[in-house]
Amino acid sequence: MLHAKIIYSSKAKIQIKKAESFLSSSKFGAIIYFIGTVRSFNDNKKVTGITYDSKDTMVLKSFKEIYKEAGNKLKIKRKSVFIEHVKGYVPTKAKSIIIGVACEHRNEAYKLSRYIIEQVKKRTPIWKKEHYGNKKSLWLKGISLKK
Amino acid sequence: MKVIVELYGATKDLSDKNFLEFKLKNKVSIKDIKKEILNLIDKKFKGNQNYKKIINNSAFCSSKDNIVKENYIISKNEVIGIIPPIGGG
Repeated sequence: MLHAKIIYSSKAKIQIKKAESFLSSSKFGAIIYFIGTVRSFNDNKKVTGITYDSKDTMVLKSFKEIYKEAGNKLKIKRKSVFIEHVKGYVPTKAKSIIIGVACEHRNEAYKLSRYIIEQVKKRTPIWKKEHYGNKKSLWLKGISLKK
Repeated sequence: MKVIVELYGATKDLSDKNFLEFKLKNKVSIKDIKKEILNLIDKKFKGNQNYKKIINNSAFCSSKDNIVKENYIISKNEVIGIIPPIGGG
Protein backbone atom coordinates (compact mmCIF):
# COMPACT_ATOMS: atom_id res chain seq x y z
CA MET A 1 0.00 0.00 0.00
CA LEU A 2 1.41 3.36 -1.03
CA HIS A 3 0.35 6.93 -0.42
CA ALA A 4 2.39 9.42 -2.48
CA LYS A 5 1.59 13.10 -2.79
CA ILE A 6 3.10 16.51 -3.43
CA ILE A 7 1.93 19.16 -1.00
CA TYR A 8 1.82 22.75 -2.23
CA SER A 9 3.10 24.89 0.64
CA SER A 10 0.80 27.76 -0.34
CA LYS A 11 -2.21 25.54 0.28
CA ALA A 12 -1.29 23.06 3.02
CA LYS A 13 1.39 21.75 5.34
CA ILE A 14 2.96 18.35 5.64
CA GLN A 15 1.47 16.72 8.72
CA ILE A 16 2.68 13.65 10.54
CA LYS A 17 -0.84 12.87 11.74
CA LYS A 18 -1.83 12.07 8.16
CA ALA A 19 1.02 9.54 7.96
CA GLU A 20 0.00 8.09 11.33
CA SER A 21 -3.57 7.73 10.20
CA PHE A 22 -2.55 6.06 6.92
CA LEU A 23 -0.05 3.65 8.48
CA SER A 24 -2.25 2.72 11.42
CA SER A 25 -4.72 1.27 8.94
CA SER A 26 -2.10 -1.34 7.96
CA LYS A 27 -1.65 -4.62 9.81
CA PHE A 28 2.05 -4.06 10.46
CA GLY A 29 3.58 -3.39 13.86
CA ALA A 30 6.95 -1.80 13.03
CA ILE A 31 6.46 1.82 12.02
CA ILE A 32 9.18 4.39 11.30
CA TYR A 33 8.87 8.03 10.31
CA PHE A 34 11.60 9.99 8.59
CA ILE A 35 10.99 13.73 8.65
CA GLY A 36 13.14 16.13 6.65
CA THR A 37 13.10 19.77 7.74
CA VAL A 38 14.76 22.93 6.44
CA ARG A 39 17.95 23.56 8.37
CA SER A 40 18.89 27.08 9.40
CA PHE A 41 22.55 26.94 8.35
CA ASN A 42 24.18 25.55 5.23
CA ASP A 43 27.79 26.09 4.13
CA ASN A 44 28.24 28.66 6.91
CA LYS A 45 25.33 30.71 5.58
CA LYS A 46 22.21 31.56 7.55
CA VAL A 47 19.28 30.07 5.71
CA THR A 48 15.82 31.62 6.07
CA GLY A 49 13.96 29.10 3.93
CA ILE A 50 13.93 26.94 0.83
CA THR A 51 11.76 27.07 -2.26
CA TYR A 52 11.18 23.57 -3.60
CA ASP A 53 10.45 23.03 -7.26
CA SER A 54 9.45 19.69 -8.76
CA LYS A 55 8.30 18.00 -11.92
CA ASP A 56 5.21 16.61 -10.28
CA THR A 57 4.30 13.80 -12.65
CA MET A 58 7.86 12.46 -12.59
CA VAL A 59 8.07 12.78 -8.82
CA LEU A 60 4.99 10.64 -8.33
CA LYS A 61 6.23 8.17 -10.93
CA SER A 62 9.56 7.89 -9.13
CA PHE A 63 7.88 7.37 -5.73
CA LYS A 64 5.89 4.49 -7.23
CA GLU A 65 9.00 2.99 -8.83
CA ILE A 66 10.99 3.25 -5.60
CA TYR A 67 8.15 1.60 -3.67
CA LYS A 68 7.95 -1.23 -6.19
CA GLU A 69 11.72 -1.70 -6.37
CA ALA A 70 12.02 -1.82 -2.60
CA GLY A 71 9.78 -4.86 -2.69
CA ASN A 72 12.06 -6.63 -5.15
CA LYS A 73 15.53 -5.43 -4.11
CA LEU A 74 15.05 -5.51 -0.35
CA LYS A 75 12.61 -8.41 -0.58
CA ILE A 76 10.09 -6.55 1.52
CA LYS A 77 6.79 -7.46 -0.03
CA ARG A 78 4.51 -6.75 2.90
CA LYS A 79 4.67 -3.03 3.64
CA SER A 80 2.82 0.24 3.76
CA VAL A 81 4.55 3.44 2.69
CA PHE A 82 3.53 7.07 3.07
CA ILE A 83 5.53 9.72 1.17
CA GLU A 84 4.72 13.40 0.98
CA HIS A 85 7.08 16.06 -0.34
CA VAL A 86 6.48 19.77 -0.29
CA LYS A 87 6.53 22.15 -3.26
CA GLY A 88 6.93 25.91 -2.86
CA TYR A 89 8.45 28.03 -0.11
CA VAL A 90 9.21 26.43 3.26
CA PRO A 91 10.71 28.41 6.16
CA THR A 92 13.51 26.99 8.33
CA LYS A 93 12.53 24.21 10.72
CA ALA A 94 9.37 23.42 8.74
CA LYS A 95 8.91 19.98 7.20
CA SER A 96 9.85 19.32 3.59
CA ILE A 97 9.31 15.56 3.44
CA ILE A 98 7.75 12.76 5.44
CA ILE A 99 8.48 9.14 4.73
CA GLY A 100 6.50 6.77 6.89
CA VAL A 101 6.93 3.04 6.58
CA ALA A 102 5.16 0.14 8.22
CA CYS A 103 6.51 -3.42 8.02
CA GLU A 104 6.13 -6.66 9.91
CA HIS A 105 9.50 -6.33 11.68
CA ARG A 106 11.75 -3.43 12.74
CA ASN A 107 14.78 -4.51 10.70
CA GLU A 108 12.75 -4.30 7.50
CA ALA A 109 11.23 -0.97 8.50
CA TYR A 110 14.64 0.63 9.16
CA LYS A 111 16.04 -0.70 5.88
CA LEU A 112 13.04 0.41 3.88
CA SER A 113 12.93 3.91 5.33
CA ARG A 114 16.62 4.44 4.60
CA TYR A 115 16.31 3.00 1.10
CA ILE A 116 13.45 5.32 0.18
CA ILE A 117 15.07 8.57 1.31
CA GLU A 118 18.39 7.68 -0.36
CA GLN A 119 16.63 6.88 -3.64
CA VAL A 120 14.53 10.06 -3.49
CA LYS A 121 17.76 12.07 -3.10
CA LYS A 122 19.36 10.26 -6.06
CA ARG A 123 16.59 10.21 -8.63
CA THR A 124 13.46 12.19 -7.83
CA PRO A 125 13.24 15.45 -9.81
CA ILE A 126 13.02 17.96 -6.98
CA TRP A 127 15.11 21.12 -6.72
CA LYS A 128 15.97 23.47 -3.88
CA LYS A 129 16.49 27.21 -3.96
CA GLU A 130 17.98 28.35 -0.68
CA HIS A 131 17.15 31.80 0.68
CA TYR A 132 19.60 33.62 2.96
CA GLY A 133 19.49 36.32 5.59
CA ASN A 134 20.98 38.87 3.19
CA LYS A 135 17.94 38.39 0.90
CA LYS A 136 20.02 36.55 -1.69
CA SER A 137 19.04 33.11 -2.93
CA LEU A 138 20.73 30.25 -4.73
CA TRP A 139 19.68 27.08 -6.53
CA LEU A 140 21.61 24.25 -4.91
CA LYS A 141 23.84 21.94 -6.89
CA GLY A 142 22.60 18.40 -7.29
CA ILE A 143 22.93 15.05 -9.00
CA SER A 144 22.73 14.88 -12.79
CA LEU A 145 20.18 12.45 -14.25
CA LYS A 146 21.75 12.76 -17.69
CA LYS A 147 21.93 9.48 -19.64
CA MET B 1 7.79 22.94 -35.94
CA LYS B 2 7.25 24.42 -32.52
CA VAL B 3 9.04 22.87 -29.55
CA ILE B 4 8.22 23.81 -25.98
CA VAL B 5 10.77 23.10 -23.28
CA GLU B 6 9.43 23.20 -19.73
CA LEU B 7 11.89 24.66 -17.25
CA TYR B 8 12.58 23.33 -13.77
CA GLY B 9 14.88 24.25 -10.92
CA ALA B 10 17.78 26.50 -11.83
CA THR B 11 16.78 26.61 -15.50
CA LYS B 12 13.75 28.70 -14.51
CA ASP B 13 16.17 31.63 -14.37
CA LEU B 14 16.34 31.48 -18.19
CA SER B 15 12.85 32.86 -18.66
CA ASP B 16 10.18 34.73 -16.76
CA LYS B 17 7.76 32.12 -18.06
CA ASN B 18 8.20 28.51 -16.99
CA PHE B 19 9.11 27.40 -20.49
CA LEU B 20 11.11 28.19 -23.62
CA GLU B 21 9.65 28.03 -27.09
CA PHE B 22 11.62 27.34 -30.26
CA LYS B 23 10.54 27.28 -33.89
CA LEU B 24 12.70 24.74 -35.66
CA LYS B 25 12.84 22.51 -38.71
CA ASN B 26 11.15 19.11 -38.56
CA LYS B 27 13.06 16.15 -37.09
CA VAL B 28 14.73 17.83 -34.17
CA SER B 29 16.72 15.98 -31.54
CA ILE B 30 17.46 16.83 -27.91
CA LYS B 31 20.98 17.69 -29.04
CA ASP B 32 19.54 20.39 -31.35
CA ILE B 33 17.42 21.80 -28.55
CA LYS B 34 20.40 21.90 -26.25
CA LYS B 35 22.30 23.92 -28.87
CA GLU B 36 19.37 26.34 -29.14
CA ILE B 37 19.35 26.85 -25.38
CA LEU B 38 23.11 27.43 -25.31
CA ASN B 39 22.69 29.98 -28.14
CA LEU B 40 19.98 31.69 -26.17
CA ILE B 41 22.32 31.93 -23.17
CA ASP B 42 24.94 33.52 -25.42
CA LYS B 43 22.46 36.07 -26.73
CA LYS B 44 20.35 36.84 -23.66
CA PHE B 45 22.77 36.18 -20.80
CA LYS B 46 26.16 37.14 -22.31
CA GLY B 47 27.23 33.50 -22.43
CA ASN B 48 26.84 33.04 -18.66
CA GLN B 49 29.11 30.08 -17.90
CA ASN B 50 27.14 28.98 -14.88
CA TYR B 51 23.95 28.66 -16.92
CA LYS B 52 25.83 26.80 -19.65
CA LYS B 53 27.25 24.38 -17.11
CA ILE B 54 23.76 23.68 -15.79
CA ILE B 55 22.45 22.99 -19.31
CA ASN B 56 25.38 20.70 -20.09
CA ASN B 57 24.70 18.73 -16.90
CA SER B 58 20.96 18.59 -17.43
CA ALA B 59 18.89 15.65 -18.55
CA PHE B 60 15.82 16.01 -20.76
CA CYS B 61 12.52 14.20 -20.43
CA SER B 62 9.92 13.28 -23.01
CA SER B 63 6.23 14.06 -22.73
CA LYS B 64 5.87 10.56 -21.28
CA ASP B 65 8.12 11.51 -18.35
CA ASN B 66 11.03 9.35 -19.43
CA ILE B 67 14.60 10.62 -19.32
CA VAL B 68 15.80 10.51 -22.93
CA LYS B 69 19.18 10.52 -24.65
CA GLU B 70 20.55 13.34 -26.80
CA ASN B 71 19.68 11.52 -30.03
CA TYR B 72 15.99 11.31 -29.08
CA ILE B 73 13.87 12.76 -31.88
CA ILE B 74 11.16 15.09 -30.66
CA SER B 75 7.69 14.51 -32.08
CA LYS B 76 5.61 17.28 -33.56
CA ASN B 77 4.05 19.39 -30.80
CA GLU B 78 5.76 17.34 -28.11
CA VAL B 79 6.40 19.22 -24.88
CA ILE B 80 9.72 18.20 -23.38
CA GLY B 81 11.22 19.08 -20.03
CA ILE B 82 14.69 20.03 -18.95
CA ILE B 83 15.81 18.30 -15.78
CA PRO B 84 18.77 20.07 -14.17
CA PRO B 85 20.76 18.19 -11.50
CA ILE B 86 18.33 17.21 -8.73
CA GLY B 87 18.55 17.36 -4.96
CA GLY B 88 15.31 17.18 -3.04
CA GLY B 89 14.42 15.68 0.29
